[in-house]
Amino acid sequence: MIKKLLSAIVAFLLFMAVAFAQNTTVTGKVTDENGAPIVGVTVLVKGEKTGVNTDASGGFSIPNASGKTLLFSAVGYESAQATTKGGNLQVSMKTDTKSLSEVVVTGFGGSQIKRELTGNIARVKGKDIEFMPTPSVDAALQGKAAGVFVNSQSGKLGQAVTVRVRGNSSISANSQPLYVLDGVPITSQDQSTYGGDMNPLTDLNQNDIESIEVLKDASAGAIYGSRAANGVVLITTKRGKAGKTNVTLNVQSGYAEATKRLPMLNSEQYAELILEAAKYSDDQDGTPYDDPFSYTSYVKNDVMDYYSYGQWSKDPTKSYDWQDAVFTKGPYKQADLQIRGGTERTKFFSSFQHLDQTGTIIGNTLQRTTGRLNLDQKANDWLDLGVSMSLSRTANRRLPDDNAFSNPLQAVALNPMTPFIDPETGLPAGTPPGDVNIPLYYNPILTVDYGKFTQDVFRTFGNTYLKAKLVKGLTFQTEFGMDYLSQNEEGYFRSETVRNQTSAVRGAGNNSGTFITNYNTNSYFTYNLVKEKHNLSTTLGMQYQQSQAKYNSTAGTDFPSNSYQKIASAATKSGGSSSQTDFRFLSYFLRANYSFNDKYILAASGRIDASSRFGKESRQGFFPAISAGWIMTNEKFLSNINALSFLKLRASYGIVGNAEIGNFPQLGLFSGDAGYAGNAGQRPSQLRNDSLRWETTKQADFGIDFGIFNNRITGEIDYYEKKTSGLLLTVNVPATTGFTNIVRNVGKLENSGFEFVLNTQNLVGAFKWSTSFNIAFNKGKVTDIQKQIIEGGVSNMNRVEEGYNVGVFFTPEFAGVDPNNGDALFYKNTKGADGKLDRTTTKKYSEAQRIVVGDPNPDMIFGFTNNFSYKGFDLSVFFNGVRGNQNNIYGMGRYSSASMLYEDNNTADQLGRWRKAGDITNIPQVRLYSTNGSQASSRYIVDGSYIRLRSVTFGYNFDGRLLRKYKIEKLRFYVSGQNLLTFTKYPYWDPEVNADSFDSNIAKGNDFYTPPQPRTLLAGINISF
Amino acid sequence: MKLNIQIRKLNYILSAALITLLVTACEKRLDILPYQSITEDNALASESDVNVTLIGAYDGAQAAATYGGDIMVLNDLVGNNANINFTGTFAGLTDAYQTLMVSNNSFAAGTWIGAYNTINRCNNVLSALDKVTSSPAKKSSVEGQALFIRASMYFELVRLYAKTIGDGDASSNPGVPLVLTKTESVTNADYIPRASVKAVYDQVVADLTKAESLLPSSNTIYATKWAAAAQLSRVHLMLKNYAAAGDAANRVIAGSGKTLNTDFTKLWFTFINNGGANPAEYIFAMTVTAQDGTNSLNTYFGRNVGIAGTAGRSDCKIKAAHIALYETGDIRKTYFALSGGNNYTRKHLDRYGNVPIIRLAEMYLTRAEANFRNNTAVGAAPLSDINSIRTRVGLPALSSLTLDAITKERYLELAFEGHNLHEAKRLQKPVGANNWNSPKLILPIPQREMDVNKSLVQNEGY
Repeated sequence: MIKKLLSAIVAFLLFMAVAFAQNTTVTGKVTDENGAPIVGVTVLVKGEKTGVNTDASGGFSIPNASGKTLLFSAVGYESAQATTKGGNLQVSMKTDTKSLSEVVVTGFGGSQIKRELTGNIARVKGKDIEFMPTPSVDAALQGKAAGVFVNSQSGKLGQAVTVRVRGNSSISANSQPLYVLDGVPITSQDQSTYGGDMNPLTDLNQNDIESIEVLKDASAGAIYGSRAANGVVLITTKRGKAGKTNVTLNVQSGYAEATKRLPMLNSEQYAELILEAAKYSDDQDGTPYDDPFSYTSYVKNDVMDYYSYGQWSKDPTKSYDWQDAVFTKGPYKQADLQIRGGTERTKFFSSFQHLDQTGTIIGNTLQRTTGRLNLDQKANDWLDLGVSMSLSRTANRRLPDDNAFSNPLQAVALNPMTPFIDPETGLPAGTPPGDVNIPLYYNPILTVDYGKFTQDVFRTFGNTYLKAKLVKGLTFQTEFGMDYLSQNEEGYFRSETVRNQTSAVRGAGNNSGTFITNYNTNSYFTYNLVKEKHNLSTTLGMQYQQSQAKYNSTAGTDFPSNSYQKIASAATKSGGSSSQTDFRFLSYFLRANYSFNDKYILAASGRIDASSRFGKESRQGFFPAISAGWIMTNEKFLSNINALSFLKLRASYGIVGNAEIGNFPQLGLFSGDAGYAGNAGQRPSQLRNDSLRWETTKQADFGIDFGIFNNRITGEIDYYEKKTSGLLLTVNVPATTGFTNIVRNVGKLENSGFEFVLNTQNLVGAFKWSTSFNIAFNKGKVTDIQKQIIEGGVSNMNRVEEGYNVGVFFTPEFAGVDPNNGDALFYKNTKGADGKLDRTTTKKYSEAQRIVVGDPNPDMIFGFTNNFSYKGFDLSVFFNGVRGNQNNIYGMGRYSSASMLYEDNNTADQLGRWRKAGDITNIPQVRLYSTNGSQASSRYIVDGSYIRLRSVTFGYNFDGRLLRKYKIEKLRFYVSGQNLLTFTKYPYWDPEVNADSFDSNIAKGNDFYTPPQPRTLLAGINISF
Repeated sequence: MKLNIQIRKLNYILSAALITLLVTACEKRLDILPYQSITEDNALASESDVNVTLIGAYDGAQAAATYGGDIMVLNDLVGNNANINFTGTFAGLTDAYQTLMVSNNSFAAGTWIGAYNTINRCNNVLSALDKVTSSPAKKSSVEGQALFIRASMYFELVRLYAKTIGDGDASSNPGVPLVLTKTESVTNADYIPRASVKAVYDQVVADLTKAESLLPSSNTIYATKWAAAAQLSRVHLMLKNYAAAGDAANRVIAGSGKTLNTDFTKLWFTFINNGGANPAEYIFAMTVTAQDGTNSLNTYFGRNVGIAGTAGRSDCKIKAAHIALYETGDIRKTYFALSGGNNYTRKHLDRYGNVPIIRLAEMYLTRAEANFRNNTAVGAAPLSDINSIRTRVGLPALSSLTLDAITKERYLELAFEGHNLHEAKRLQKPVGANNWNSPKLILPIPQREMDVNKSLVQNEGY
């Protein structure tokens, strides 16, 4: 900086010598470090109120300034000053890297310098998530933005991710934030017909991203009105820069493995337990063990020997770990090319990417190819236009949903004495012509070997704009954008899979298409006025969005042979469908930001939304917000405190809505899907509600932004309260009406919490160390659900209860094992007349009342990043964690941590079962086909807290002087690891889990043979020239 | 830096015009309708609308939760550990099998919801009979079919969720709520209590009697006069109105023109061996095709036994003790598939097999029992009816008869077709370890229904 400034001053002195006393008007040009002109720099004569702004080529002309000191300031740049005696002045300004000077995108063409923000917007720089093997942009937010909870749900590739901004704001409506890519609200919800939810954000190359802004409070969000209650994620892609064309190539490669293996019983342990269990059951029936109809005989002959192809009685030690057969090491390869440059009139950014990834579970691969071109053209001095265009193809070979016998991880339930390969046929166990009823359940490997389901998504994100300067300070911008999602899904299951895919007697195939056309247009006026100490900027405009989704599918069975896999060859067309659903929004918005003397800031915004989703009696909604800020360090009374470089108080209040209530929830409907035996039929399908509307969230936010020691330490502290009313509830009605529910706006819930952000530059100089820490505490509470029973998840254990957070675990409380007889015990928890719970225990499950025993929502989430650099080396270490949440492992636990109720293999901890009177244990006596403690209970609700070493990257940058010889600007080698360590008490695979088969707003934290997150190790090279 | 003032003005005009255009063009665009559904005001406007709603009622009855098979599966499974070794993993069924049901049993809820959903579809049909104007016969047929399906659902509900006839006072025992009109909106009037067992049976008898009079004699796969009469004979048998039961059964045997299949083994595998058609002996069945419908008896009793098209979860393994009940030489004794060391009934192996609800053999057995009990010979002598059943499965004709012989024959003939529980209650015989009138043999009123409708009373023990 100083160097640049010095050179600017030297240049100026030279000019001064030449041009001395010629003219008192000073002209000049302001450029950035790369020599590109900076538009809109405020140029002020020191001590005077008059000033000008630089024009499109960075030039300025200021009269009567000769010999005076000029002050240069611009958003995103460090301030500069220069003195001149006239003539042509060249000033270079340096990009400000301190967080308080960052420019934050606020939507609809707006941006604000962070220090002047009065709302709460978390910003994640594209640089911080670049070239990471995170699967999608939403997953990349994990731990990076305070108050944004991200759960990656499972280790399957391309799967949906849960994102909650400041807690759950809804029960029935979608609780995911609104994603806006370069001004276009994009399709972000699942579109798959197979397996769990997929993630349409996977189609976006995250290395194209310049910045991500999460609008968290109402003041920031109100401009998105009825769609902002869950937060708004604004994604801005990189754009061209004037100057030398820069080409960056990044190639990385590595592999991924499952983070954990779960200890299961081996063959001998399994035999010990199941025979002990059979013995118990025979004793109960009084059957002699050697009776041919005894449980013991059944186990020996029809379980142990049958499922081991007769091997067990010959060699009872032979054991097979089925996890070995389904976990795999998945290679990871990615190449990125980015080209960026332009002139003052034309700027471009262009990128290409190819990603090839193999999952950590067999049969799961993902390839993505993307290309982007962002172009900005200055047509003349009053008109700018531009286009952003991204094309992508994502091909995903998908896994079935967690609750499918063909889910590879369900292989853990198979018996350890069952060989992987049928000894007679040499084919995987269960493959015809061998016995298809071996193993115990369907062998999921058959679906990998003899079946396939692929999803091909072609995605176009496009946006064009025209921007006209009408008069000084007033511009008009109009944008037309489109998000086109075209998806083909294709599955074929050979006859070998018939035990699972019962229609596949002679092969079964399916093929489906999804076409979502999502148009958006924004048109708005922006007016900026700087007059003396007053600074006003306003935006007024409208937005119209129209989304059309069309679906079709066909299915066929009875193929001539497995060589024919298209429906054209299916003798029976067993299914076919087409359908469509649309939604539309029409909105008007206004925003005004006013600041006085760089001390007092006031902002107001509002939006009127109308939508095809709302009932005819409530078509339009108004969503206003106001906020204010006070930069105290600009007051005299604080100007003496040198250590305190920045202090701002801010507050905001506003109303936003959630309109993700589905299409047409307000209409009374009949559906034509009730055919019978080939004849068409219809049925009443939905009760009408003319007053149905969005959900309303009122949010207040109080914040402090501070900077200490010349902003080497900066931070934010926020407290917020969100009150949501008019929650859309599917209110249960008596099923005797023929309906089970009606949708009404009746519920209420609240969220409140604290957020802290601290960024520090601990060491500067040759050895640099900076830290970025964020932590958030959220308390959610449902306050009114009109006594509805709202349940979901595994065995309906997730529930919405007044006084608790959304989706708490509601189930009887396990009281351990009776030491006398090995019976599982439960607390009765019957509410007495005095309101106290009866804490006596019972072995009768039906006597135990259900109570709240856990919560899948974390109380606390945090992210902690440390960046180190020394000479050419750099190291980044990133931890994130969640605390205070529980997970439900009953999905698998009821079969495999179940005291040998069934013939499933059990987890190794079941060896600690009760065996004789006096044993103190939490594992009840094993009893074959006789339930003992494997009912749904708090036994299966476990702590889901974790701290995870999410990523470590270590890189080396080669010396620039050496490289210049080869015209290389930058050369960097790096190694990177994801999910390297996890600290948790969680007993199953991965605490960051959410089974896709049960996922809903209220059904979170369920584990159902859910694949764990991958641990990825990779090495890469990054070269720029 | 000088701009042409006129261009600026043009800009104003253009942008203002653009916004106005968008605004006016848009507002009407918010009035859009769904594609796969129609609004209720247009749903029952014509005769053809009523016809398709009637098809919708069959579709409701065909759902897995109802006559798709769950009703029969529950009947066979509740407490029946004498005959079946249930190894399935659906907790709701495991609990039913072990008579450890709790009030949120998912199958108890599913069947309740499914049956009332079907009843509402029937009520929608009955609300719009005035639209059926093509012929009086057509109108009668539509009304009769809707009444038949509605009555069948109520009959199954009252048997599963309420005390059986003979267990206390039917006129004070709570049955199930009776809803006889279609639902357009939910008001306080929809939160109704359980009608008495007697009131429900009275409605069922009235509906079926009317249906029998309205329905045609033949109606392809849809309900006929004989389906209504056959269902009525079952109802009267439960009510212990033996004469009425026998008369109704006799009307079916004499009037339907249907005869017993000579080969017992040809009664099943309707998809694999019979092209999806019902055997002549079926009086009423739910049709399953590859495209539509579920045979949930197949789901739980079925298994891939190596015959192409067989499938199932292998959940219900038939115990040797059951097979031992058949006399030697009985074709039915061999109608089990041994696979993986266990026996499975061959009745439900066909993945797309139709689900028989009532077949003619039952009418012979009902007529025989009614005549025997009343010492009458309406239609035929009891011995002749029983021997009709016996001889076709290769058994020698009997020369004398006892009530036990009749009920045993009935039990074996109809085994695993969804009769076990109600037969035991009717005959006041224990089911496994539970006595015929044990509260454990009655399904719970679903917890979700108890929670939402405070005027309901729960069954004992839940």
